[in-house]
Amino acid sequence: MNKFFAVTAAVSAVALLSVAPTMAQGKTLTISWWGFNGEKLESIILAPFRAQCGCEIVFETGNNGERLNKIQIRNGGGVDVAYFSDSYSQLGIEAGLFQKIDPAKLPNLAGAYDLAKDPQGGYGPAYSIGRVGIVYDSSKVSTPITSWNDLWREDLAASLTLPGITTTAGPMVVLKAGDHAEVDAFEDADAAFASVAALKPNVVKNYNTGSEMINLFSTGEVSAAVAQDFTLAQIQAAVPTAVWAELGEGAIATLNTVNIPTGAAEPELAYEFINFILSPEIQQQLAEQGVDAPVNTSVTLTPEQAALWTYGADVIAGLQRVDYVKLNAAKTGWIERWNEVFGM
Amino acid sequence: MKRYAGWTLALPATLLVVVFLVIPVLATIWTTFTTPAGPFATYTAFFGSGFRRTVLMRTIQISLATTAIAVVIGFLTAYVVSRSPGWLKSILIVAAVFPLLTGVVVRSFAWLIILGKNGILNSTLLNLGLIGEPMAMLYTPGAVIVAMVYLFVPLMILTLVGVLESIPDDLIQASASLGAKPVATFMQVTLPLAVPGLIVGAVLVFTGSFTSYATPQLLGGEQVMMMGTLMYQQAMVTFDWVAASTIAAVMVVITIAIVLVMTRLARRLNPMAV
Repeated sequence: MNKFFAVTAAVSAVALLSVAPTMAQGKTLTISWWGFNGEKLESIILAPFRAQCGCEIVFETGNNGERLNKIQIRNGGGVDVAYFSDSYSQLGIEAGLFQKIDPAKLPNLAGAYDLAKDPQGGYGPAYSIGRVGIVYDSSKVSTPITSWNDLWREDLAASLTLPGITTTAGPMVVLKAGDHAEVDAFEDADAAFASVAALKPNVVKNYNTGSEMINLFSTGEVSAAVAQDFTLAQIQAAVPTAVWAELGEGAIATLNTVNIPTGAAEPELAYEFINFILSPEIQQQLAEQGVDAPVNTSVTLTPEQAALWTYGADVIAGLQRVDYVKLNAAKTGWIERWNEVFGM
Repeated sequence: MKRYAGWTLALPATLLVVVFLVIPVLATIWTTFTTPAGPFATYTAFFGSGFRRTVLMRTIQISLATTAIAVVIGFLTAYVVSRSPGWLKSILIVAAVFPLLTGVVVRSFAWLIILGKNGILNSTLLNLGLIGEPMAMLYTPGAVIVAMVYLFVPLMILTLVGVLESIPDDLIQASASLGAKPVATFMQVTLPLAVPGLIVGAVLVFTGSFTSYATPQLLGGEQVMMMGTLMYQQAMVTFDWVAASTIAAVMVVITIAIVLVMTRLARRLNPMAV
């Protein structure tokens, strides 16, 4: 009898194992992401994940705002995994568009920096960490920039580009303007925007995309910028003397998160995918090939590879965090005030 | 039955226009009147904001300036083209249309290279010794106007060439034989007869400029924000679709008003033509 049960159990197990890929086959995972680095992402992530899950993968591409709008219009449906920068994923969370994450279904999360594990109170983890800081052309800016307050220096007159208020990094300029005025921008927006107005003579143009900012550098229109570090390599390709400023107060952390929308048709497949992109092997490849900064603590990079990224425990520990709940609440009013400073 | 034949034939096309064009626009505008704050709250907010009024006025001014310059350049060019012999006319028309073969972004981008601090214009002026240091030309209303004139002049030329070609030489000769000088012939014969083309061209240029997004974004930025860029900001960044719809409604009304004014002006120039 025992033999009978053993055979039955073995046959059942074989049957289940053979059915599992068949169940995944025919399933479709829909990913909402930016669409950059398509070829690299295909070879590093998509092809191996297709082989693992036996599923189809389709995409929705576009910038943060466009894609979040689409998910909102579909009331949280239409995609299974959504990539966003943290300011936008916070908006999605506040709009009830994303479901809470069960960490038990993401074993690879254990290897991530604490900052990346749960940045927004139970929703998607961060798969990449970046920073907002200052880039400047050392051949034109003779005195090195070492503080956020240096943005207001007179020698930077008509030579600075700021991120537009509608970009990820734009509102951070208001926070730093508040610091410059020695106030909390959330508490005293008047003083913060007086500082923004004082910065205006130094500003040539506010940019809305990374490529626009790189063009401003390469055409000689600007010699300094408040920028995200993922643009550094391209700026240096255009202007080899461009350097990342080591700021005494520290740079500001920007996290890119992955979330599962409330209306996801394949949530289990979404978990499998998120766990896959958090694995040490994938994180290592993404960092080595210049796609994304790693969040996995076991990733090891050469100094040349690491130069591009927010990498290493010390660097990550020195980052400043932004309270996006407060920021998003203040953002609409700030956009209005920013427009009045720069657009009147 | 014959009486309604024309209407019957036009019905399918009319239905398509109504369903896919008129109803969506009306539906968009309708949402601006159905807010909890009241039917005109969004408009009060729009016109109550000094910044929005500035953007609206700036957009109208830039669009009118673009239209005026495009009319002058387009008319002169179209006049030369229409009076040229056949082979030269073909070459000139191809040359005028050539920029349309590339995208708006590429054509706008070209002006970044021309007007930049290290751009072609500044380099030339520096080499000629006319300026001591590069001038800041980008990110000004002037840069936006120059680029938009470049964008829309081909449309004006194409519209006017056909109209100017259709003016019979006999009329010009008759005017001259009656003693009119070339300027008088131009003002009293050629110009009035070109009014329909001028109106169509001016409306195309004005509406194109008024609703443009890429050129003001690339060459003006936040410092020269126009209605298109403001609407994008409201819809895609603050997710305030009602505010974006209000901007769209204001743009529709202003466009219709400007077109009516242009038509009225044209009627004064040539009552028969419009």
